[in-house]
Amino acid sequence: MAFWLEIRTIAGLSETDSEINLAEKFHTKTFANGLTLLAQEMDNVGSAAMTFQSPAGASHDPDAIAGAGYVAYEWFFRGAGAMDSRALNGALDGLGCQHHEYVTSSHVVFGASQLGRNLAAVLKIYADILRRPRLEDANFGPCRELAVQDLRNLQDEPASRCNMLLREKFYPQPLGRCVYGSEQSLAAMTPERLREHIGGRFGPAGAVLAVAGNINWDSLAGLVGDLLGDWPAQKQTSPVKPVQAGGVLHVPKDSAQMHIGLAHKAVPFADKRSYAARLAQTVLSGGMSSRLFTEVREKRALVYQVGCSYNSLKNHAGMLTYAGTRPELAQQTLDVTVGELRRLADGIEPQEMDRAKVQLRSSLVMHGESTSARAGALASDWHHLGRLRGLDEILGEVRKVTIDDVISYLRQFPAEGLTMVVIGPRELDASILGGRR
Amino acid sequence: MKFEHTQLANGLMIIGEVNPSAASMAAGFFVRTGSRDETPDIAGASHFLEHMMFKGSSRRSPFDINRDFDAIGANYNAATSEENTVYHGAVLPEFDQKLLDILADMLRPALRQDDFDTEKNVILEEIARYEDMPRFRVYDKLMSEFFAGHPLGQSVLGTRQSIGGLTSGQMRDYFDRRYSPDNITAVGVGNFDFGRFVSKIDDLCHEWRPAQTSRAIPPPPNGRRRRVIVDRKLVREQVGLMIAGPAAQDDRRYAASLAAAIAGDDTGSRLYYALVEPAIADEAAVEYNPMDQAGVFLTAISAEPAQAKKAVNIALDEFGKLRSGGPTEDELSAAKNKIASGAAIQGELPMGRLAAVGFDWIYRKQYLPLAGHIDCLLAVTKDQVMDVLRQYDLSAPTMVSLGPLEAI
Repeated sequence: MAFWLEIRTIAGLSETDSEINLAEKFHTKTFANGLTLLAQEMDNVGSAAMTFQSPAGASHDPDAIAGAGYVAYEWFFRGAGAMDSRALNGALDGLGCQHHEYVTSSHVVFGASQLGRNLAAVLKIYADILRRPRLEDANFGPCRELAVQDLRNLQDEPASRCNMLLREKFYPQPLGRCVYGSEQSLAAMTPERLREHIGGRFGPAGAVLAVAGNINWDSLAGLVGDLLGDWPAQKQTSPVKPVQAGGVLHVPKDSAQMHIGLAHKAVPFADKRSYAARLAQTVLSGGMSSRLFTEVREKRALVYQVGCSYNSLKNHAGMLTYAGTRPELAQQTLDVTVGELRRLADGIEPQEMDRAKVQLRSSLVMHGESTSARAGALASDWHHLGRLRGLDEILGEVRKVTIDDVISYLRQFPAEGLTMVVIGPRELDASILGGRR
Repeated sequence: MKFEHTQLANGLMIIGEVNPSAASMAAGFFVRTGSRDETPDIAGASHFLEHMMFKGSSRRSPFDINRDFDAIGANYNAATSEENTVYHGAVLPEFDQKLLDILADMLRPALRQDDFDTEKNVILEEIARYEDMPRFRVYDKLMSEFFAGHPLGQSVLGTRQSIGGLTSGQMRDYFDRRYSPDNITAVGVGNFDFGRFVSKIDDLCHEWRPAQTSRAIPPPPNGRRRRVIVDRKLVREQVGLMIAGPAAQDDRRYAASLAAAIAGDDTGSRLYYALVEPAIADEAAVEYNPMDQAGVFLTAISAEPAQAKKAVNIALDEFGKLRSGGPTEDELSAAKNKIASGAAIQGELPMGRLAAVGFDWIYRKQYLPLAGHIDCLLAVTKDQVMDVLRQYDLSAPTMVSLGPLEAI
């Protein structure tokens, strides 16, 4: 809870943000039940991190019980196999396992970091959690109640809520839907209904277990085979048919700042042009010399926080921009920000491009030092590309991109027809957003 | 892993933990100054000054600093607390000299009037931003209530009034007093050559002239206060509890961090089982924060207004039970494993080691490798945790609540 005030906020790596990889000792194995194991052996580290991605993300929640994936993972930790909730959590704590779970559009993600020597014991516990969760009626109520409280917290945290609403408005539904569901869908959820959903979606088919760090591939593959190889595949449900979204939403609120979220289309990570998109995003928002920071904050002092992130689902992607500003400056902030998103297509200086490339190279190498970042990147590559990329490949692709390539990309994916969400006391003139929304 | 240290004639301390197998290096200038070193008429000056450091020197324009950092792909930031201001960056080993050139140059800022006037508006935006963050508001108010009359009760952010009234002359005066080389430690960690690190810093910093820097360290107060802040715009109730704890210089800090984890870690703690698992609160966490000759335990609870009083009473009751009965051996060992494992994982990144190595020196003039810290942690006995819990009573805190409730 103690706070340090920083010169700027740096967006954490979001689940879909880690498209970066290091060459080196990769291994993959897909079991007969559809589970894929990905691994990277790393030197000079003592820890081993794992990411388990279950294809049960928020977009797969049945509409009537949206929030199902979010409530489900909480329920999984309330006892599994021979262990009740206290025994289960005590066992993970005793192994120094630092775990966190979250839900994305596509997946429910279980992440865990620990020393490599404890990985096998932790995996045995996760096999119980995933295959033999108790899912007892008595524990369901509090799990659902926590989701209700998360939803209500958003009312008091306008910047987070703005980000959530922007995804909901920008991505075709239900791809961008709020992972907590709604008060109605949570109220409609019952233990029976959620158990049925879990039985149909949480299984090995399409799931990925990615492990990186101080590991031995042969023993890992053997252990995972023993623990999860005979896990029966779940029945796959039909793919969702997304409905086009977009538009402008103003949520009136007596807040100190106006929270402005903007989104426009980008190319998904799987497309070759994503390297050009990544460089465009870095020129716009990569460091304190980037276009948005320079023009909106440094020159005009309109904001403390402004930035743009490149977010990709499997088949849809966006550049998501946020600016927080006082009401009297909000219209100017919007106009200047949108102007900068567009001005990028007019030209990029060679020095700007050089800086963007060195920033990408540095962040690639530095992420390569973190076992949890690596585990996340393996899973992300597999999801988006169906294969793993080495550092050499990514650096080579980044190096090849020219300014003309970036400009050509920006003309194909212009900042037009922007989706906008604004939370705050004033309504803004949205005519600058332009085009079809 | 090798530790080295030296000092320039003007008092600037230089320390380094060299790890040739790392893929990157990180460097930081740690200035022993923060809001506790301000007078009330310049509240927020430390943090505002930290922003002004990015506005250039005699050699660099405001835009040059940002461009030069980005041109070497640095992962950089700066941060201000009640008692420290840190400027830091991580880079690939080939850029370590350039990183030092920027950081050292920043620390002799131009403080130009037009930049000051512009940046003041950014600070006012930052103040507005935190007004929309209830958890920050509770922390800020809790510190000012608990440390009422003590320098640690002074807000890092300042207020619209104090920032609005601050002049560049006052800032220059504060800078001259606080950014003396003998009040600054340069820290390097990761893959770099310490000899070259020192000679570069010597080139850049040997002309910095020392001033007489001092810090008032009155004994921390130990009163117990209550403050209810009514904000009907909020949907949820946020409650903060604070008591004193061992100082950063106190060897009992290891036992204190274990006591905090047993009482209120995110997973498997007393508060987790009593409040979060049954969903009485969605957050209930205890943190131990050691500071210069002072320390605090702080507890954060977030709940529905109708449940807030119950949640606080349960938390206080759990603290009382832990104090009288003590932790179980299982709880102690789980807390040790969690903290040790977290420290080991963080220590694998130069950026993760930078703060640990820097603050070891700032507070204790010591270097201890990560393994040494973990040994100290693992050696803590149940009796030592009990001693901390007995001396520092979590169940008798200062309390601040923020939300729609009139009373709690």
